[in-house]
Amino acid sequence: MAEIESALLEIIKENAVGLTGDPTRETAITDLGIDSFAVVEIIYEVEEKLGIEVPFNANENPLANMKTVGDLIDAVKDMSGQS
Amino acid sequence: MSVVDANRGGRRVVVTGMGAVCATGKSVDEFWSNAVNGVCGTEIRTIKANDGSQITVPVAQMDGFEPFAKELGRDLGRADDFSKFAAFAADQAVAASGLDFAEGDLGGRTATIMGTGIGGQSSLEDTYISMLCFEKRPHPLTILRLIPNAAASHLSIRYGLRGPAFAISSACASGAHAIGVAADLIRAGTSDAAVAGASEAIINKGALHAWKQMHILSDEFCRPFSKNRKGLIIGEGAGVLVLEEYERAKARGAEIHAEIVGFGMNADGKDMINPAVEGAAGAMKAALEGVRLPAGERIYVNAHGTGTLMNDPTETKAIRETLGAEADRISVSSTKAMHGHLLGAAGGVESVMSIKALQTGVIPPTINYDEPDPECDLDVTPNEARERPVNLAISNSFAFGGLNAVVAFGRV
Repeated sequence: MAEIESALLEIIKENAVGLTGDPTRETAITDLGIDSFAVVEIIYEVEEKLGIEVPFNANENPLANMKTVGDLIDAVKDMSGQS
Repeated sequence: MSVVDANRGGRRVVVTGMGAVCATGKSVDEFWSNAVNGVCGTEIRTIKANDGSQITVPVAQMDGFEPFAKELGRDLGRADDFSKFAAFAADQAVAASGLDFAEGDLGGRTATIMGTGIGGQSSLEDTYISMLCFEKRPHPLTILRLIPNAAASHLSIRYGLRGPAFAISSACASGAHAIGVAADLIRAGTSDAAVAGASEAIINKGALHAWKQMHILSDEFCRPFSKNRKGLIIGEGAGVLVLEEYERAKARGAEIHAEIVGFGMNADGKDMINPAVEGAAGAMKAALEGVRLPAGERIYVNAHGTGTLMNDPTETKAIRETLGAEADRISVSSTKAMHGHLLGAAGGVESVMSIKALQTGVIPPTINYDEPDPECDLDVTPNEARERPVNLAISNSFAFGGLNAVVAFGRV
C-alpha cells in the first residue's frame, strides 16, 4: 500500500536524528540514528496518520531482521495486513 | 559568620549552583529581581482542556516557555512539562556550579534527587481525554512522561549522574525533602555532590478543578498572613540546587552560595488536611539542631505561608514555639503571593529565594498584604522588601497529609 510507504518515509525523515537528506527504501536502518523504541513511536505515528492498527510486540525486537528502510516498510505493511 | 557549631564535626554541605523557573522568572536573577520588587505573577486565566472544556481561576502560569523547551533536545522535547521545567532549572544550576561530571568519578558520586507532588499529571489528563472523548490510543511515551521519577531520570541521563537517583513525593514538602535528603546523602558520605530540587506542572483543567473542590483556592489574590486572605493560587515551575561537599567545593575554588546548616523532617501523624503546630515546630527545631542561633534580627523565615485560613496561624504559632521571644525580632515572608504555590516544587524555588535573601541581605516581601491578623502577628515584611543582613535563612514546607520538611541555610 503506497500510503504506508509515503507516510513512513515522511515520519522517518522527522525522527531520524542521524540522517542527512531524505530516507529511501535503500537507506540502512543503522544510518537513521534511532533506537528500537523509536520504531515503536514511528509506527504509532503511522497508525495515527492513516487510522490503521499495526499489531506487534516490541519484545520481538522489530529491528532484528531489518537492514533497510524498505524492510521496515514491508514489515509494517505485513503487520497491518495491507501488504 | 557561620551559624554552624564549631564542635559539630562531620561532612558539611554547601550550595554551589542554583536554578529557578516559574511565573515570576526564567532565571535566578529575574526571579530574584521580581521578588525584591514585589512583582505579582498571579492572574485570573481560563485554562482549556483538549476537549474544549475550560476552567477560569487565578493561577501563576508561565508565559513564553516554548522556545526554551525546544532547546532542551529531543528526549526532553517529548517529556511532560514537569521534566522540562526541571531540566531548564537544573541546566542553570549545573552551569553556575562549574562542575564537570565527566571528570574522574564525579558522575558516579553525584546523586539526583527530584521532588514532585504529582508528576506528569497533564500528560495523563491529555491521554484520558483523547482516549475517552475521541477514542484515540495513548502515545507510546505516556508512561515515561507521567512517572514521578521522570524528571530525576532525565537529569541523571542529561548530566551522566550515576549516584543514587529517585523522586520524592510528599505533596507540598517534596522540594524541601529532596534538598534535605540529598544533603544527608552527602553528609553521610554516600555521595559527594547532588543535583536536587523539585518541579511541578499541573496547570490543567482537571487538576485545577480538583483543587477548586477543596474550596481553598483564592478567587482573586493570594494574601498570606493577611486577615482577608482567601486561599492559595496554584503555580508551576522548578527550583534546583547543586549541592557539594564543602571541602571539595573549597578545594576547587567554587563560588559557595550558602551552607545547608540543618534539615528537619517529621509527620504530624494526625490529619490529612489540618496542620498541627507541634509537627511544624518539631521539624523547625530539628532543622536548627546544632545551629548557633544568631540574634533574631538576623534570621529570615521563608514561610510555607499558603494564604489559607488554617496554615498561616498554625505556622505563626510554630515559628513562635521554635524561636521563643526572638520570634518578635525575626523577618518572615511568604513569597507564594508572587510566584504562586508551586506545590511539590515550592521547596525548590523557595530555597533559591531563601539563599538569595541570605546572600544579598534583602528580605523579599509578602505582597497583597492589607489587613493585620492578630493570629498571624509576626513581622511578615508586608508589601515592601527590606534591607536586613541575614545570617540564617529557614525555608518551611508543610504538606497535606501532615508531612513537614524544613531546610536551614547559613553562610560558610
